[in-house]
Amino acid sequence: MIPDVSQTGEAVEQQWVPQPKAPVVMLNNVGKTYGRYQALGGVSLALSGGVTGILGLNGAGKSTLFKLLMGKLRATQGEVRLFGTNPWKNPAPYARVGYVPENESLHDWMTAFDFVTTFARLHGLTRDEAKLEAERVLEFVGLTDVMHKKIGRYSKGMRQRAKIAHALVNDPDLIILDEPLQGCDPLARTTIMNVIRELGRMGRTVLLSSHILSEIERITEQIVILHQGRLLAIGNVHAIREQLDNIPHTIELECSDAKALARDVLSLDSVHGLQFPTTTKLRIFTHHLGEFHKHLPTIVVENNHNVMNINNPDDDLQTILGYLTGGSR
Amino acid sequence: MAKDRGETIWTALDRKATAIAEFTMRQYRTRISTWVVLGVGFLSISVVLLFYIDAMNTEIEAIDNDGDSFDSDGDGYVDGQEFKLGTDVYDEFSHPGLFNPPIQPEPASMYINEDDYDWDYSDARSVASTGYDDDGDCRESQLLDSQKDTNNDGIPCNIRIVFNSLTGEYQIFADAGVDEDPDEDRYGKEAQHRAFVLAIGKLGFVFLLSIFIPLFLATGLIRDEMTSGTMHYMTAKPIARGEIFLYRMLGYLGIVWPYMLIMCVLMALISGLLGPGDQFFRFADLGVWFSVLIAALLATLVYGMLFSFLGVLWKYGIILALPIAAWELGMALLSMSVPESTFLRMSIVGWSMSIIDSGALLVWPDMDMFTQAGSWAGGSNEGNSFFSFESEALPGHGALEWAQSDLGLGMGPYPTIIVSMMVLLAQAAFFWFIGQLVFKSKEIE
Repeated sequence: MIPDVSQTGEAVEQQWVPQPKAPVVMLNNVGKTYGRYQALGGVSLALSGGVTGILGLNGAGKSTLFKLLMGKLRATQGEVRLFGTNPWKNPAPYARVGYVPENESLHDWMTAFDFVTTFARLHGLTRDEAKLEAERVLEFVGLTDVMHKKIGRYSKGMRQRAKIAHALVNDPDLIILDEPLQGCDPLARTTIMNVIRELGRMGRTVLLSSHILSEIERITEQIVILHQGRLLAIGNVHAIREQLDNIPHTIELECSDAKALARDVLSLDSVHGLQFPTTTKLRIFTHHLGEFHKHLPTIVVENNHNVMNINNPDDDLQTILGYLTGGSR
Repeated sequence: MAKDRGETIWTALDRKATAIAEFTMRQYRTRISTWVVLGVGFLSISVVLLFYIDAMNTEIEAIDNDGDSFDSDGDGYVDGQEFKLGTDVYDEFSHPGLFNPPIQPEPASMYINEDDYDWDYSDARSVASTGYDDDGDCRESQLLDSQKDTNNDGIPCNIRIVFNSLTGEYQIFADAGVDEDPDEDRYGKEAQHRAFVLAIGKLGFVFLLSIFIPLFLATGLIRDEMTSGTMHYMTAKPIARGEIFLYRMLGYLGIVWPYMLIMCVLMALISGLLGPGDQFFRFADLGVWFSVLIAALLATLVYGMLFSFLGVLWKYGIILALPIAAWELGMALLSMSVPESTFLRMSIVGWSMSIIDSGALLVWPDMDMFTQAGSWAGGSNEGNSFFSFESEALPGHGALEWAQSDLGLGMGPYPTIIVSMMVLLAQAAFFWFIGQLVFKSKEIE
């Protein structure tokens, strides 16, 4: 075999053909244990198409799940299938997968363009094809103007986008992003969210993980909640919220005149209690969070209240998890 | 498309191979540690080279091996001249000055190094009779022909060389006064030169460079990427881990092999120009350097595979590699003293060194003979010289004896080279095979 050193022209498709009827991602009772520690236990899941957010606290097993899908880890129990193929045994499905790992480390000595080109060639593309592909995906993530600079000089958001770009070469059907928004500034966050939404609109299957609910909510409605290695909930984020709405909630408002605001708020059916921690703070107890939030803006605007801050201490993953696991709340 | 080439799965594989190999080479080039390791290798070889240059530029002091430059009776005529003309060496009233017409005394320096070896070493295995009495102290002496034939082979004033096929050694039987006062400088330079080429090839290139460069460059080839987390990018692509292992190795070779080539060419050029001999450049030596190069390339390949595998096996693979390096050092020394030892078969360095020994034997087929000649040193130490003047082995002989070793496989040079190369390639393939097996079974966190 003579090495193809010239690397020009076009390459042809690889021989591996995915099973047409198999879901993109299929987990059947998958578990992963490290000694006596169970990182993931009995997770069953099948996904095809759309953007899915994997939510969970740190250590919930999100990265473990992704690493099992990417054949980095071997499942101690159950079956992992990527396009119907076991990824631990066969790397062929990766031809249609893009993976953005969680860890920060990158090849800092390369330019983003070189980085993406090099890894594009691992898809069997020629040098020419890989360069075109790199230009395409770097433009997609908005790094075109800095793509010839060393990655080591990039900001966190740019690094994250370079990682995403490298995962998008060869136009994958499945994109797995492990904590893609972590450590990014708001601007980078928005850019990356737009990229992910765009990918979803293009009909790709996107899996992304986060431990911040609001982040995921801005991108997708379909969520999977992992907790302590178990699959806790799967479905539409609104449905889960809807259920959440019907449990007691606390909202803290910071305003110039707490008493005046309290008078107006009390007229709402959903409010069943009030507290005044200080003269400028109003703590409201509600049974129906959604209802309350619907009416609050009208009240504030109509009565000309000056609200500086709305604090919703319950509106986070921790609360949802607490609720779903039937804990304190 | 530049060329009309059939697109098969192989051509796509090649693209991956070149991509990873190029990537790995660039990665090496951007690391300072690579240059430090290669630089230290260059420096250590250069230091040895300095000793060689110094040796080549230092005149080896001439020794009067047969002691005939000495005027025993103090009559103004050195023993050599008196003996040749038949006067009594120990009687001061018997000297050529009393001849009619009287003969002027010759300077003592004429009787130092005056009877060098006149052997055609290259013919050694077939020639039984050689040597020529340059100074005439055998040919022109007043002795009877039977007295001139002290080795009893029927030929006066010659040297009989017997090859003992059982021990593989030469025995030298010389008539008294023949080739008995060799030129130390001529022999010593040649011996030192050969010893240097062999020693630098075997210990410098095959042991020092071929073990320590892979130790520092190959142990982390896969492991560093796994530790830093950057291996995630490569393993997330449609490429088998065995291929990653192999192609990373290609990148490693892409750095190490040209380095070895450059080092070999440099050494060959310098030693070829500075080495002894009448010609401007010792072209024949290139054959030895070629075998050094082959041995070094194969050794760096095998050690690279081995150390890279150890790196995959354990995070602190270098700790596993160090005892192996120590074992290989022992094997290197063993190979130089007991080349037929079976322990050497369980080493990498043993096989590599036998390639160099074979190469040296092909270029210098007179090696055994030449070594024996140095040990014989004119024969004075064997007591068959006319003068019982004690002399030791010629300078350079010790170094050559140490650096040179016989072929331990009991085969000729060519079969030895071929078998050794096959074994080394098989070792490389074996280490790749288990290396990629281990890599495949490793979970990457």
